[in-house]
Amino acid sequence: MKPEDTFGYAVNALIQQPRRAGLSLLGVVIGVVAVIFLTALGEGARLYVTEQFQTLGTDVIVVIPGKTETTGMMPGFTGTPNDLTLDDAEALLRRIPEAILIAPISMGNDTVSYQNKSRQVVVLGSTPAFFELRGIPIARGSGLPEGDIDRGANVAVLGKETAEELFAEENPVGKSIRIGEWRIRVIGVNGPRGTHLGQNLDLVTIVPVATGMRMFNRTSLFRIMIELRPGSDIEAVKEKIEAVILDRHNEVDVTCMTPDAVIESLSAIVGTLTLVLVGIAAISLSVAGIGIMNVMLVAVSERRAEIGLLKAIGATHRQVLLVFLMESLLISTTGALVGLGIGFATIHVVTWMYPAMPAEAPIWAVFSVLALSVVAGVFFGVLPARRAMRLDPIIALSSKG
Amino acid sequence: MIRLEDIWRTFVMGDQSLHALQAVTETFAAGEHVAIIGPSGSGKSTLLNILGCLDKPTRGQYFFDGRAIESLDPDELAQLRLNEIGFIFQAFHLVPRLDATANIELPMTLAGVARKERSERARAALESVGLGDRAGHRPAELSGGQKQRVAIARAISMQPRLLLADEPTGNLDTHSGEQILDLLDGLNQEGITLAVVTHDPEVARRAQRVLEMRDGEIVRRISADEVSDANPIFDRGRVGKRP
Repeated sequence: MKPEDTFGYAVNALIQQPRRAGLSLLGVVIGVVAVIFLTALGEGARLYVTEQFQTLGTDVIVVIPGKTETTGMMPGFTGTPNDLTLDDAEALLRRIPEAILIAPISMGNDTVSYQNKSRQVVVLGSTPAFFELRGIPIARGSGLPEGDIDRGANVAVLGKETAEELFAEENPVGKSIRIGEWRIRVIGVNGPRGTHLGQNLDLVTIVPVATGMRMFNRTSLFRIMIELRPGSDIEAVKEKIEAVILDRHNEVDVTCMTPDAVIESLSAIVGTLTLVLVGIAAISLSVAGIGIMNVMLVAVSERRAEIGLLKAIGATHRQVLLVFLMESLLISTTGALVGLGIGFATIHVVTWMYPAMPAEAPIWAVFSVLALSVVAGVFFGVLPARRAMRLDPIIALSSKG
Repeated sequence: MIRLEDIWRTFVMGDQSLHALQAVTETFAAGEHVAIIGPSGSGKSTLLNILGCLDKPTRGQYFFDGRAIESLDPDELAQLRLNEIGFIFQAFHLVPRLDATANIELPMTLAGVARKERSERARAALESVGLGDRAGHRPAELSGGQKQRVAIARAISMQPRLLLADEPTGNLDTHSGEQILDLLDGLNQEGITLAVVTHDPEVARRAQRVLEMRDGEIVRRISADEVSDANPIFDRGRVGKRP
């Protein structure tokens, strides 16, 4: 029997039972759509995170007060480490030759108001290096003033959206605003930057780091961002940073994070998520496969006479087996293809409706779905097909049909 | 062409064993037309199944063209059925979802004959049974006689040398039945060896030789002229049923 004839024979048998074939197909379709859509969301999340950190550059180290290893908790929420101070930042700048930019950062939340308008914003305290590091353009006026970082002038650079909300068409530069109880002069406005590392930079208000710390009564920095000369040995620099901190604090009570490490740990999380999804995929495809098996068992018992006839006129065991395997394989692979189509259409619709939602089906998911559907088709088709193959032609022919 | 030597076929049912065939020894010459008659349960169909290599004897030797069937594996038996043997059943056994042409093509499809050659040969076979205008009809759209003619076209599509018919006219009216028998006679005259199992004296009378069976044994070998309507063996019964 030629392969195309086996194929044609199976197609013919399936289209004679369109509802039955369709329903078992539907099981596969639903499973595949779920798999494709869920992995697309997972992959989208991974790409989003990766992209966010990649724009930061790979030669960046973030120093966070607190030690992860000792408590296993998120840095910044641990015990009571020594304060990470502006002096620490200056010491790092002096003693780490690879560092080309060091931006100490403080953070707080307060109401920014101008005349009768006000808005709750994140107030970041930092230095001019911060703008460079995070790639924030200045649209109007100037950035933070250069000079002694301990001197906190009462000035601020507004985020683009904050400026628009408070000042509308007016030019904010030179105007006086209030941040909490503080009177602050606006010296500049950010250009658009959008959301970066989970923070909408168009909404933040940036003040000199000393001002920010005073404003919120902080004694410790939120973190220090350090950009290294391209090609620096990040691990070696990390050790140097830790040595400096050890010198000053008598213990290494900071955590050095690199984008690579963050991406790595996030990838591990996404990887676990993916495993769960693969598990769901396996379960849903098994259920669909059992559906196929059921349909094929019914088909075999209904077509006993046909099977008997095939054997009587000279079909080998192998040919009978292949005819029925082809049918289950057709159901599973057609279901997978239809499911892929619907899955991708769903992704398109969702990303069109919610452009912020990253979703992109990974190519490996497409191939594994196809491979799994073939495996499921064969695996769940073998039992019915073997039953057909083993039918005694004499008994099969004497049955009605 | 066919030699059966001391063929036994025994079915074990619980603690009883039933001899469907007992010590059957018979020879079929090439080109012969043989009828096998006997009451229900006499072993006619079992003998036909063994002749068609669908069943294997419990004991004894079956030679097809000098080849011992016993020594053939299932694939070789399938090959033999495909190339040398054609089957005609009382219930026609056409595949209901395939049209007449596709049903006739089925053995050629199994044999891997190319599509074009298949359809040419199917058309020729269909015309030879007088159904050239029914190529695209499905079995449900054909009368009983037409179905059996399609089945005959299928049986001869691989040009077999042995044609086995189990009550070929059992489900047909007299007129259709005669058309079928004429067709079979014609094929026999072209040289095909024909073995027909029947209850019908009319069918048996067309054979050159008649084997009368009873309780699994060939009890009489008679000529067609000796078949009598009054013979008590011609009771009605189901065909294709195992004892």
